[in-house]
Amino acid sequence: MSTNHNDVLLDVQDLKVHFKLHGGLFGQKQTGTVKAVDGVSFQVRRGETLGLVGESGCGKSTTGLGVLRMVEPTAGKVTLDGIDITALNSAALRKARRRMQMVYQDPFGALDPRMRVLDIIGEPLLIHKMFKDKKDYKAQVHDLLERVGLNPNMADRYPHQFSGGQRQRIGIARALAARPELIICDEPVSALDVSIQAQVINLLEDIQEEFGLTYLFIAHDLAVVRHICDRIMVMYLGHVVEVTDRDALYENPQHPYTQALMSAIPIPDPEEEAKRGFDRSLQGEVPSPLNPPSGCPFHPRCRFAHDACKTQKPRLMETDTGHQVACHLYDPAASDINAGDVMEDNLVRAG
Amino acid sequence: MLAEETHRHDHAEPETQQEVLLRVSGLKTQFRQDGRTVTAVDGVSFDVRRGETLAIVGESGSGKSVTAMSILRLIPSPPGEIVDGEVLFDGKDMLGLSDEEIRKMRGSEIAMIFQEPMTSMNPVLTIGRQLSEPIQVHRGGDRKSLLAKCVDLLRKVRIPDPENRVKAYPHQLSGGMRQRAMIAMGLGCDPRLIIADEPTTALDVTVQAQILELLKDLTRERGTSMILITHDLGVVARYADRINVMYAGRIVEQGSSGDIFKHPKHPYTLGLMSSIPRLDQPSGTRLTPITGQPPDLSNLPSGCPFHPRCRFAEDRCRAERPPLTQVSDQHWKACWIDVNKP
Repeated sequence: MSTNHNDVLLDVQDLKVHFKLHGGLFGQKQTGTVKAVDGVSFQVRRGETLGLVGESGCGKSTTGLGVLRMVEPTAGKVTLDGIDITALNSAALRKARRRMQMVYQDPFGALDPRMRVLDIIGEPLLIHKMFKDKKDYKAQVHDLLERVGLNPNMADRYPHQFSGGQRQRIGIARALAARPELIICDEPVSALDVSIQAQVINLLEDIQEEFGLTYLFIAHDLAVVRHICDRIMVMYLGHVVEVTDRDALYENPQHPYTQALMSAIPIPDPEEEAKRGFDRSLQGEVPSPLNPPSGCPFHPRCRFAHDACKTQKPRLMETDTGHQVACHLYDPAASDINAGDVMEDNLVRAG
Repeated sequence: MLAEETHRHDHAEPETQQEVLLRVSGLKTQFRQDGRTVTAVDGVSFDVRRGETLAIVGESGSGKSVTAMSILRLIPSPPGEIVDGEVLFDGKDMLGLSDEEIRKMRGSEIAMIFQEPMTSMNPVLTIGRQLSEPIQVHRGGDRKSLLAKCVDLLRKVRIPDPENRVKAYPHQLSGGMRQRAMIAMGLGCDPRLIIADEPTTALDVTVQAQILELLKDLTRERGTSMILITHDLGVVARYADRINVMYAGRIVEQGSSGDIFKHPKHPYTLGLMSSIPRLDQPSGTRLTPITGQPPDLSNLPSGCPFHPRCRFAEDRCRAERPPLTQVSDQHWKACWIDVNKP
């Protein structure tokens, strides 16, 4: 399959997923709104891997679920290969979902413990009527098992008979069954042991090449994301704060949050660590999305925060080709200090 | 056991000698379940010196947590039992102490910090109450002085507004704050050894960094020794002085942080290093995973338990279990193969 990188497969415009909270005696009173995803726009090109990173509560998983309409978006438009997913009725949505599948984080919780592997993997074939007869069904499942590195004669076993890494392979085989174009991977390796993570990452890379898949790769581990993704989008409290190519993000992170996130990740090399020092400037935790800060959601933890940050929400704007940042430091219209200060500050810290 | 015998001699070296606080020798802990015996820790020996941070690295089932629990005799029995070995803390034989005596050691001399602060804390007691209990038990004191001490501890772990937070319940604190409160509980009686079992695994990276920096500062300040149990090699590189790598209940490699990261000698350690993507290396290089699955402890392979996954394995590895042998001054490995041989 050709992978023309300018061909947009998934287009998400101003996606919002808000959850209403209910309280009161019979839960009839609305007591608040959690804006889990609050105006997120991005595009994924055919054949590429877009990484979605951020800490817990940033809305990365909800974005994935919103794209698939596994939670109903409050607003916004999701287009898959020209089809407006958000406008489909349930029958049409089911048909469209064949083309977008999901791989989950928890290989223990995601598989029905009472189903045989044969039926777990074969279920999408059944739903989308993608087999001729029983023999064909079995043959397809056996092919899939083999493709993900499992022995086809394991098809009659149950999930508990497999290790975590093997279960994740089963989950991947199930996602592949319907021959999708887009796979949303939600923390696919974070529950696995280190030695098994690499096996699964390599498998995901192999099947992407073989089937020409497009990935939306949701994870909190920046090293894993850098390894597998072409472009990366950083989220914070329901907002996109930075989007760019993988190398640009790691070599030149621009948003103060991205910078802090990078410095927080230890490198497995004591000499590098000793050289690198550690940026202690990021204090506190991600605020509750129930009561998000005004203006820029990052301002209470940001050491560059100035008055504009407290009141105005920064817009996502291009700073370099293909590099977008939502920060007043880079916005000449809104800023009373400028990006030069950040650069200078970084130099001081590095030197 | 031969390997442990030679190990002892290592500490006679005058230049590198540092006072040993904890000495674990030949520790063996088993669990019995459904008529089967699983050896979770199988002949583990190591020292923790005063003021140093020793990391125990391994994957699930490697025996790293059971090793820590055995030191404090927190193994639930039955089904668990420490069947062999010796644990000397400052010369005192921990395994020979009465229940009363070991209770006195826990929390006062050796403190443990667990992974999940929500389940390790009592949800119906205030933070202050939980903080003051061990201090009262081990050190005594009246209500007022205990409260002052608690506020002081919360301030030390940089919890904002400590005067009010002592009255809070665990659910009223965020994950990071709860973990800070756990650390405050551990520090309450000025222990000489802290055992931190995956202290930040449940936390976000930016919070993880804050908590680990805090632990580093506090242990440095007080000269406290620490055993840091983790699966995260990055955390190890940043915080450990020395490292034990465990696999299937055994230490397979032991050495300084520099030795282990720069000159890994065991194929398992090598495998771990090449299977993780790193921020400081060129992107897009293919990972080299360790093949196969972690072993089933109730049905371990013969010889070296790593041999079915080892790309260097020879006949000898399948037949004989390699002892921990010295590679260089402070560096030990349990492997028959010279991985540097071309």
